[in-house]
Parts: sequence; C-alpha cells; structure tokens
Amino acid sequence: MRDRLQTRYQVQAQLRRPIKERPAHEKSQRETTLLLPTLRTLKKLPNFYLSIVNMVGPIASLSQLNRADGSASYKCPATGYSILGAVNAPIELPARRDALKPEEATVEVFVKPGTTTAGVGERHVEGILRSVLGKIVLGREKGFPRRGVVLTLAIVGGENVERGDSANLSQYLTILPALLHAGLLAMVSASVPLSMTFSATLLGVTKSGDIVRDLSPTAAKAAVSLHVFAVSSKNHLLLNESEGRFDFDTWELVRERALSVCQGETAASADGDVTMGEGTASASLNGFIRETVEDQVYSDYAFKLDSI
Amino acid sequence: MASSTTPISPTPPSLALPPSQFARLQPHAYLLAHLSPPPASNQPSVRANGRATSQFRVTSANAGSLTHTNGSAVVRIGDTAAVCGVRAEILHTKDIASWSVLQASSEQNFDKSNDVGVSESQDEEDRGHIQDLDLLVPNLSLSTGCAPGFTPGAPPSALAQSLSHQILSLLHTTRLVRADDLRIWYQPPNLDSEEFRNAGEGMDVDTEQSEDPEREIKAFWVLYIDVMIISLAGNPFDAAWASVLAALRDTKLPKAWWDADNETILCSDNVADARKLSLRGLPIASSFCSFEGDAAAGWRAVVIPDAEEQKQKKGAQQRWILADPDGYEEGLSQERASLVVDKENGKTVIVKMEKHGGWTVDSDDLRQLVDVSAQRWDEMKRILDQC
Repeated sequence: MRDRLQTRYQVQAQLRRPIKERPAHEKSQRETTLLLPTLRTLKKLPNFYLSIVNMVGPIASLSQLNRADGSASYKCPATGYSILGAVNAPIELPARRDALKPEEATVEVFVKPGTTTAGVGERHVEGILRSVLGKIVLGREKGFPRRGVVLTLAIVGGENVERGDSANLSQYLTILPALLHAGLLAMVSASVPLSMTFSATLLGVTKSGDIVRDLSPTAAKAAVSLHVFAVSSKNHLLLNESEGRFDFDTWELVRERALSVCQGETAASADGDVTMGEGTASASLNGFIRETVEDQVYSDYAFKLDSI
Repeated sequence: MASSTTPISPTPPSLALPPSQFARLQPHAYLLAHLSPPPASNQPSVRANGRATSQFRVTSANAGSLTHTNGSAVVRIGDTAAVCGVRAEILHTKDIASWSVLQASSEQNFDKSNDVGVSESQDEEDRGHIQDLDLLVPNLSLSTGCAPGFTPGAPPSALAQSLSHQILSLLHTTRLVRADDLRIWYQPPNLDSEEFRNAGEGMDVDTEQSEDPEREIKAFWVLYIDVMIISLAGNPFDAAWASVLAALRDTKLPKAWWDADNETILCSDNVADARKLSLRGLPIASSFCSFEGDAAAGWRAVVIPDAEEQKQKKGAQQRWILADPDGYEEGLSQERASLVVDKENGKTVIVKMEKHGGWTVDSDDLRQLVDVSAQRWDEMKRILDQC
C-alpha cells in the first residue's frame, strides 16, 4: 500500500508544473472563482488520499496537454477504456452560422476511435454527448455567445478498441461513461462555466437478474439489458440510455443503484460543499470527480498553500 | 406612417400581430401561451398544433408501394413521411473471408451452451450471424430536400448518420429478423441413410448444427434497408422505424437453393414459392420532448434546484412533455426522450429507453411515458396490420 501511495505522489509531482509555464490566459481568473472554495477542504487531504488508495476506481488527471485550453485523461480499469479529452473554449468557429443560436455558445464534440476513422456510431455518440454537455455548459456567460466550445475525445486505449464498423454496437454503451467523464473533466480543466457537474455509470442486468456495475465489453454482450445513467451533482437524471429487454420495475431498481453508485453516501450541504466522512466520499463517482479536480487545484496552488 | 394612422376600417389600429407572425417572432411565448392559457379564458391546454400533450399525429402506412423491391412501405406521421425499401441480395459463404473461422467458433459455442438450452444457443448464433456478417444494412437519407436545413445531394448529415446507427442498433438489440430466414441451405442427396442416422443425434433438436456434414449453409440473404425521409416535420426516428418495420413485414424472399451441378444459387421466380420473413415481436418507437415554461431555466446557473426541491415545486407545472413533437416544437426543446416498447401476451416490455439533453424528466415521468408508449403500440399495431 505504501508503494501505491508513493506512486500516487509521484504522479502528482509530475503533474505539478512550474507555475510560470501555465498558459496565462484569462482563464486563471475564472478558475480561481470556480475552484478556490474547494481550498477550504484541502486541510482534510490526508484522509482522502488514503481512501483513494483503498479503492480500485478510475484514474484521471487534468491539464496534461499544453496547447489545448483544457484537457483530461481518464482511465477506467473495470472496462479498460482510456480516453484523452481536449477542450478549446471559447474559440471562433469558422463555419458558425449566427442563424443557429446567436445568444449561446455552440458545443461541438468529436469522438476519435483508436484504430479507425469515425463512423456512424461515433456520430451518434457525439450527438448524445453534445446534448448532455451542451445543456450544462453556461453558454451565455461573458465571452461565450457566438463562440464555440470544441471538445475532442480520443479513445487511446482499451482492452477491446472499437473496430470502427457498427458490428459491436453495445460497445458504445460501455464506453459512454468514460467519454462523459473525460469530457466533463476536460471542460473543468478549460474552466468552461458549467451549471453542474455529473458522473455516469454503466450497469447491466444479467440473465439471473443481478445488477452488475462497469461491465467489460465481453460481459456486456451477455447481459440481458444495459443501462447508462448520468446523475448530476444535484441528483438530477441527466442521461439515460437503456438497451435490451426489461420492464419498468427493473429499470427503477437499476436507476436507484445508479444513484447510489454516483452519489454514494456523501451528503451535500446547502452551500454545495461536500462533507467528507471517512472514506465515503471516494466511494461515489461524484466524489471522485470532485477529488480529481481538488488534486489539480492542490498542485496548481501549491505555492499559495506553502506560503500560508 | 400617414397611411397607417388614418384608419380605413372603423377599428383603431392595434399592435396585435396575426398568430402566424407571433409564432415566428416569439416561438417560445407562442407555444407557452397555448399550453398555459389564462385561467379566465376557460380554454383547455393544447399545443400550438391543436394536439393534446400526449397525442400523436395522424399516422398512415402503406406497404408494397415499390414494385422493384422485396418489400417496401411508406409511413406518414403528420407531415413527416418516410419511404422504406428492402432489397435482398445473396452473399455466398465462399465470399466470406472468415467463414470457416466463424463456423468453427459457432460450433464451440454450441458445445458450451448445449446444456443451457437449445433456444438460447440458437439466439446466440442468430446474433452472431446477423451482426458479424452484417446481414442487415440499413441506411437513412435526409438529403432529399425534406426540410430547408438539408440541402439535396449533400453528404449525409450528422443527424442522418445518427439515425442510421439507431436503426441498425435497434434491429440488432430487438433481434427482429431471424437469421434462419436469411440462410440458404444445401441438402446433399441422401445416399447413405444409415450414416445419416448415426451422425445426426442432435439433428432433430437443432437443424442449424453446423458440424452436421449433411446440411450446410451455402449463402445468406443480405437485406439492404434504405429509408428516404421525403418530408421532415419533426420526429424522424418514429417515422423511419415504423417504415422499416412495415417494410420488413412486407418483405418476401424468393425460394433459393444451391444447384450442385451449376455450383450456383438459383432462385425460383414463382411468387407462390416466396416466403415472408417471420419477425420477432413488433417493437414500436415513440418519441417525446420536454418543453420548459421558463426559457431561461437552463442557463441561470444559480437557480437550478436540487432534484428533490424540484419535485416538490412541481405543483405549478413548469414543463410539458409533448408526444411526437413536430419540427416547431423540436426547435423549442432540448430534452428528448425516446422509448421503444413491445408487448408480449399483453405485458409491456421496454426494448430501448433513452433520454438526454436536460434534467426535468425523471422516473415518474418516464413511467407515464411507458404507459403512453404502450397505448401507442396498440394504435400502431392496428395501423400496421391494416396496411
């Protein structure tokens, strides 16, 4: 366990670039307003480092790419997918037609499969991602109307990278949570104003009626029905994609399970600050998203913390 | 200026606009005014197109419209019209590069699943053949000048590609078409009947057992399912899927056999020999959109309440779920829900359910939508049975 803890800190150290190298756009200011409140929680750091090490959960890191406004990499050990996401925002879109919606930013999503060119399956997933992320991006904030928020997601690894043709369709449901998480973290990394965050999970119902979490692509093929849920930080159901044969009662069971997977037992207090108990925060996916961002803030603002 | 201030008619010039102009200038307010009429006016809450919130548009279907296809259908839902043609082509197994490998692996599968049950292994093999060999090839075209946004002759738009993908994915998940209907067999003349008996113990149980040397698959029918949306006024998926379903129900495949002397597949031109596909179930799609009364609900960040609070506040209804949205309503809402349901012995089975683009629709609403979709299933079944 100590080894893992050390590697964790090593990764942290690699991420911690000198402050001068950080691109000094206008983004730093907004980032401060968005993320500074979380600094208060940093004093509890040792606690949740331990809890992270204890769980076999996804691995994510922010701002890995230097040229993009924001980027994130996300790896899910359970399904084996590894996604690299980059966000450029706000940028001028060359093909922007003002007739569409001039008062808002346009959200564009591109999904690049690992081994082939994008096909119809990718178009479909891009549409889903666009509608989910486009709804939570505050596209009317200053500097965003008439501009574009361009998110590019590259599927860089996975035990079974998509073939490109549409033969294995259910794979897109298995990869959707990873794409959503990578997209969200990249958005946060680029300091795109968001109305809420979310976390997503894949659940499958097996032939015996058990609800299984984070199925691998091969296990997903044997499942009777597959469900992808995205639950917002405020417990809204943002996305549901269900396939297979099931009835509504089954669906509700799965939905409740999804809620507990995404939210865990963390209780959000009125001001939106998560109260973190021993180990509970990291059990939930929303907590994971939050911690990833906090880690990044911690490394970005290390100089401030040291001077305190 | 002068002409407008001198009234010709006795009524003074008013600032009121005709409804059609109001609808273009203030689409959101226009639809909202229809859905929430002032309580004094005693008007019911209807949509701008005169429908109730859970009412679908008038639907008509006609099968066998195209003579040069194996099966075809035209489905019209309001002003959205989809034409679907199914063309069957022969795929020789000798043209499939991975055929021998596939056969070997399906044999293995069969051995493994033998104790689980015959029907299950059959299902698996169905899925394997239809999906791995791509025996169903749907394509949807919007480049027909169906709506002003789609230029004719342009490359397929993202929407068209997404719809094609959804149709293919639904064909696979519902396992609508049986792989058995698409197989072309060869039964060599039975010269040695004793050997036949010895070899075929499992033969009565499962005729597709590929290790049986007597009977072999020589070719497959590949179904090219082409959908043209010739007029688009919202909700293309329901219309496209209904047309695919109607066309597949109409599809007849000619009798085909392997001719050992010519070493080729021959087809009978006798119509009486042709047989229809036997489809599994009748999955019907119904789509919905959620119209929010407060146009700014989505982007006023601070105001978004928790899910629980939102539920309690629901007394004053702030959003409407509109069934079968037309183009005007689709432009005004971001949140979509789509359900595909089937009925087995009167019991509703959900085959696909999806919602995205917002956070107002939750389990309570989805439960209602399942009921609405089940009613729609009855209606569509009647329409499809008549066509």
